[in-house]
Amino acid sequence: MREMIKMVVVLTVLSSFSGGLLAALRNGTQERIEYQQLKFVKGPAIRAILKGCSNDPIVDRFKIKDGDVERSFFVGIFDGKPKAVAMESIGKGFGGPIGVMVGIDVDADKIAGVGITTHSETPGVGARAKTDPTFVAQFKGVPLADTFKVKADGGQVDALSGATVTSRGVSAALTEASAVYKRLKPKLIEKLKTYSK
Amino acid sequence: MVDQKKFTVSHAPFWHDGSCIRSRSYHTMLAALPAVLFGVVRYGMPAVGVISLAVSSAMIWEYVMNRIMRRDITIGDGNAALIGLIFAMLVPASSPWWMVIIGTFVAIVVAKQIYGGIGGNPFHPALVAVAMLMLSWKDLFDFDAALVNYEFDFAMAYPLAALKHFGTAAVENFTPGALLMGNQIGAVGTPFGLGLIAGGLYLIVRGFVRWEISLSFLAGIFVTAFIFHQADSARYAGPAFHLFTGYTLMGAFFLATEDSSSPVHFIPMLIYGAGGGILTMLIRNIGIHVDGVVFALLVMNIANPLLDKIRPKALGKVF
Amino acid sequence: MAKTLTQEFVKGLWEEIPPFRLVLGLCPTLAVTKSVENGIGMGVATAFVLVFSNILVSALRKIIPAKVRIACFIIVIATFVTVVELLMQAFTYPLFLKLGIFIPLIVVNCILLGRAEAFASKNGVLASAADGLGIGIGFTLALGALGSLREILGSGTFFGKAVFGPAFQPFSFMVEAPGAFVCLGLMLCLMNLAGKK
Repeated sequence: MREMIKMVVVLTVLSSFSGGLLAALRNGTQERIEYQQLKFVKGPAIRAILKGCSNDPIVDRFKIKDGDVERSFFVGIFDGKPKAVAMESIGKGFGGPIGVMVGIDVDADKIAGVGITTHSETPGVGARAKTDPTFVAQFKGVPLADTFKVKADGGQVDALSGATVTSRGVSAALTEASAVYKRLKPKLIEKLKTYSK
Repeated sequence: MVDQKKFTVSHAPFWHDGSCIRSRSYHTMLAALPAVLFGVVRYGMPAVGVISLAVSSAMIWEYVMNRIMRRDITIGDGNAALIGLIFAMLVPASSPWWMVIIGTFVAIVVAKQIYGGIGGNPFHPALVAVAMLMLSWKDLFDFDAALVNYEFDFAMAYPLAALKHFGTAAVENFTPGALLMGNQIGAVGTPFGLGLIAGGLYLIVRGFVRWEISLSFLAGIFVTAFIFHQADSARYAGPAFHLFTGYTLMGAFFLATEDSSSPVHFIPMLIYGAGGGILTMLIRNIGIHVDGVVFALLVMNIANPLLDKIRPKALGKVF
Repeated sequence: MAKTLTQEFVKGLWEEIPPFRLVLGLCPTLAVTKSVENGIGMGVATAFVLVFSNILVSALRKIIPAKVRIACFIIVIATFVTVVELLMQAFTYPLFLKLGIFIPLIVVNCILLGRAEAFASKNGVLASAADGLGIGIGFTLALGALGSLREILGSGTFFGKAVFGPAFQPFSFMVEAPGAFVCLGLMLCLMNLAGKK
């Protein structure tokens, strides 16, 4: 009996000690980790989309509540005015979720640019969505539509050859981004005004 | 009932039937000679260079490994030279010298000697080497690009690559007869189908190679290619085309039949050969590689110990 | 104590160098040694966890009940692995991205549990620290050596810098998974040859 109690006590104390330590460490590093993630994973895509902006979009970010989820928006300031926002949406690809960063020109309701952030697509096939700049370049300047579909499904998107599933995932992410943008536009405009100089 | 006479064994001395490693090696090299000579005539000095470098470096590696492992020097049995020759037949005539030497290093040191030398290798050494080189230097194994300096009076395209990229319309000009006569681009020793078949038949008649493996390999290719061709003749070429291109004939007579990596019983041999053929066609038609013989045979080599478990039950043994 | 601290430390560098002599911890050894940087990064992370888990396990060795000792060791190891993971995310994010899943997998690395069970639970704190440091550095060296061999042959670079002239055609088989096995096997073979004399 004594041994039993000792076991329970030792395990409990060890676990709670470890839990406490980790919780404290996590609190301490959370902000830095988030910044690092933004900088290394989403940063390149955001910078490519909002090319030529005069601010650092990773610093100028804000969140808007969309139902239950919070969405981050990255602001691009051109000529002193917040003209474009970038947001991330997720589409289902061949090897898992594909993170798609979508930049939207707020004045014209057009896509300012698209970039892939995270994915687990097949190298040399679906992964070309990220490595082949011509694929995402086709979206630049396209007006926001209700749905984006690949040409094989009767839509407007040129699919990557051999990677239709990936292209469909990217299209689905664009569709979602476009819906979210339309839903949140009033709030978005409000927030953006604070960035005007 | 069991025929008792079959189990009668007389006592020593036994009569040796004269078969030994050396004669096997040299007869196999002799059988490969027509195809090799054809390659030499077709590709000239570079082919001679590749062949002599491969054979000599294979023998040197064997000697070095024998010395390091303090074993008897076995270069005299001709097996290393044979592996070198078969390896040379599988690479393009334009292979740079360092690729040949790395290839024979992989074949002899990694794939043969480390596994315990002759008879202990689970894979065909030359196949391991070629697979490794194919994965590493795709550009040098691109037969179209490798042979760009040659002028021939027939279509200058590697048939399998043309098929992969442009469909059957691109390979209509390759008649089976022309392919058999070697009017195609390929490695040093693989384009001349007739020579390979003659060599293979010689080996089968002399009993160095089991006909079951060769035949079932070719049958596996034929049947699978036929099914694919029937399903979609615009994308998949017919069986005759597949039988006479790429490494098919080389695989059937020289690669699949290697002693220690192929089964010894009748039914396993049929499964082994047919499996190799079917996998080859699946890789060629669906996979991303242009020719599937190398990978298909490596896979079947791994399966070989399992296949060999399919055998007649030993009399009186209870499992 | 039969051995001095120095001896405990030195044995991990050659006599009991983990992947080659103990043949433990092969999963990260094979998976992350595509380049020297990855190999050394993984080695340092493992060494860090090893030293601290050894110290803690040996400090607690009188308290931990024998019946649940494995569970306790795993709690200790897992805690430090999570610490390393969080720290790497916060400070060396690009390296964390490259090592990815293999950082959390340090938990199941046999070296850690092996040293906790075989050494730290039977020896004093200082000796355990020396042992952990020695084995950890040995592991780092081994991973670095394997990483250099594979990177030099497979990509023609060393720490990302080209070592050969532009004519060099990389032996890309070496950075693929099967190349790791062949490479490790050859190195083991050479180690045994060298150790024989």
